[in-house]
Amino acid sequence: MLAPSDTPVRRALVIGYGSPIRGDDAIGPLVAERLERDGVPAGVTILARHILTADLVPDICAADLVIFIDATPDGEPGEIHCRPLAADPTTIAPMAHALDPRELLAWAAALYDHHPPAYLVSTPGHSFAFAHFGLSEPVAGAVEALAARVRGLIAEPPGIDGQPVVSNAFGDGSMTS
Amino acid sequence: MSRTITIEPVTRIEGHARITLQLDDAGKVSDARFHLTQFRGFEKFCEGRPYREMPALTARTCGICPVSHLLASNKACDDLLSVGIPATAERLRRVMNLAQLVQSHALSFFHLSSPDLLLGWDSDPASRNIFGVMQGHPQLARDGIRLRQIGQQIIEMLGGKKIHPTWVVPGGVNEPLTAEKRDAMLALLPEGLEIAKESYAFFKTLVPKFHQEARHFGDLQTLFLSLITPEGDLEHYDGLIRITDAHGHILEDMVPPSEYQRLIGEAVEDFSYMKFPYYKPLGYPRGIYRVGPLARLNNAESCGTPYADVALAEFRTLQESGPISSSFHYHYARLVEIIFALEMMKRLLKDPQILDHRVRARARSNQNEGIGVAEAPRGTLIHHYRIDDEGLLTWMNLIIATGHNNLAMNASIRQVAEAYVDGANVQEGMLNRVEAVIRCYDPCLSCASHAFGQMPLQVDVADPTGRILATVRRG
Repeated sequence: MLAPSDTPVRRALVIGYGSPIRGDDAIGPLVAERLERDGVPAGVTILARHILTADLVPDICAADLVIFIDATPDGEPGEIHCRPLAADPTTIAPMAHALDPRELLAWAAALYDHHPPAYLVSTPGHSFAFAHFGLSEPVAGAVEALAARVRGLIAEPPGIDGQPVVSNAFGDGSMTS
Repeated sequence: MSRTITIEPVTRIEGHARITLQLDDAGKVSDARFHLTQFRGFEKFCEGRPYREMPALTARTCGICPVSHLLASNKACDDLLSVGIPATAERLRRVMNLAQLVQSHALSFFHLSSPDLLLGWDSDPASRNIFGVMQGHPQLARDGIRLRQIGQQIIEMLGGKKIHPTWVVPGGVNEPLTAEKRDAMLALLPEGLEIAKESYAFFKTLVPKFHQEARHFGDLQTLFLSLITPEGDLEHYDGLIRITDAHGHILEDMVPPSEYQRLIGEAVEDFSYMKFPYYKPLGYPRGIYRVGPLARLNNAESCGTPYADVALAEFRTLQESGPISSSFHYHYARLVEIIFALEMMKRLLKDPQILDHRVRARARSNQNEGIGVAEAPRGTLIHHYRIDDEGLLTWMNLIIATGHNNLAMNASIRQVAEAYVDGANVQEGMLNRVEAVIRCYDPCLSCASHAFGQMPLQVDVADPTGRILATVRRG
């Protein structure tokens, strides 16, 4: 189902998502805003969303590459993670308002027969308590690094096997830097 | 003065619910309760914050209908400013509200309820989900996505894609509409209306199959509350409150929303974090009423748009006489409202005044209390603020659309359980019907809790002494 991608990325879709009032969960939208503010190459669309919803599916299908940006609950806050995503219908959301990115890819595959290579760029959050568009210190310090990782993914098209060809800060090619 | 309020439990849960069925000595259902077990606390942690933050902050109450909170909150702020907003600003807000109604109703019908309606209540739960629908009815699933996309695109063309919503502001909107955007929105509507009409026609053919469900899925004798226009027609953004009874008699009419506290009392129960609003003159719990699409259509004399009025006339034939009483027909009402919303958006956008540049009244706060009421997709949404002379919130009351339906949801669960539950022999099909009757109301449990497929739901069956005889848990 994964669409081959052996040519340079022409249309990339970047979706930063999370609640802006739940502390570090705002990192996705805020990185999206940073990317938009700094400017992105032609053909790159930046979206900031509270949650992922099904209306994104056609936009995902129309892209050559899709990158999700989110906070994760586990790990060292501020650490940058990047991993490929595959369609996974078993992630079907028990609450239908918010979808997992892998479920969105599964919707795309089921309804439109394909989805582009997809990645999740994330950092573990430190606090998810109420905060009005505010991040904890370690996560606030990761905004630029997350944006840089997204720019790297856009600049260097992923391999046909869906693995990113960009290396991490440690140069070991693992998915976490 | 800065304050820190710690909210515990911190929830990333969305709509965890529990249902308790009480059995009598004969093993029959004697009581049923719907427990909302999550806590949000918006009314507390907003205290002490500037009123101008409220639209952006309360919009985060919900991931699926932020526009409803944005509008009700800004209307409350308009009231604090004591201003009447420019006519064009009101029209633009209306367009945004209707666009959200389209995308929210599309989610409910096409993606949340369609597995039950198309695959059957007793079908294999492993495939009774949206992917099962995609397999058997892929075009219907695509249509639902397209309607959601059209609604979202219109919202984004009006409000932008930023995470800090700044287009709707106290006093109006902060930017007039351009002809280019107006034309782009108008270009989306014909396809949307075509999808809506076809979906409506398709669902009409299914309705006769659901005779039993219509009898038992919340077929209740309740009041209906909604906003209406001064002419008595369907209204979603502004208007006046009408309350009718189960026979269609009007109990309250043309009541300004600012008087909501005269009509609505708010009870609490120790088994749920959701309030139990009721019609005050009848007391609690006799004052049970319903809101949302079913109530709006029952209360309206007409929709005021051509296709929606045809559909409304057909809706009224679902029952021999009187208001449509079964909550199962919320599904039907949603489809009628999608048609209406698309037609009405076209009418609003075709009006040349929609491009007028006067879209905002500017003022500082001029009174210490403000009330904003609008119709959210799920029903009447009330924001009520009190502020001090510095403009900081001292008190807030929110009555969320889903909350109005709390008594009715509890009564509906009981009705379904009485009809389908066989003592302690709890079957999955019964569990699904209990879920399904909740889904008729399309509840938004605090923020974003909808149930389809594997909703985290627990059903306890207890004997008269409270001993748990059986528990079925999912999710």
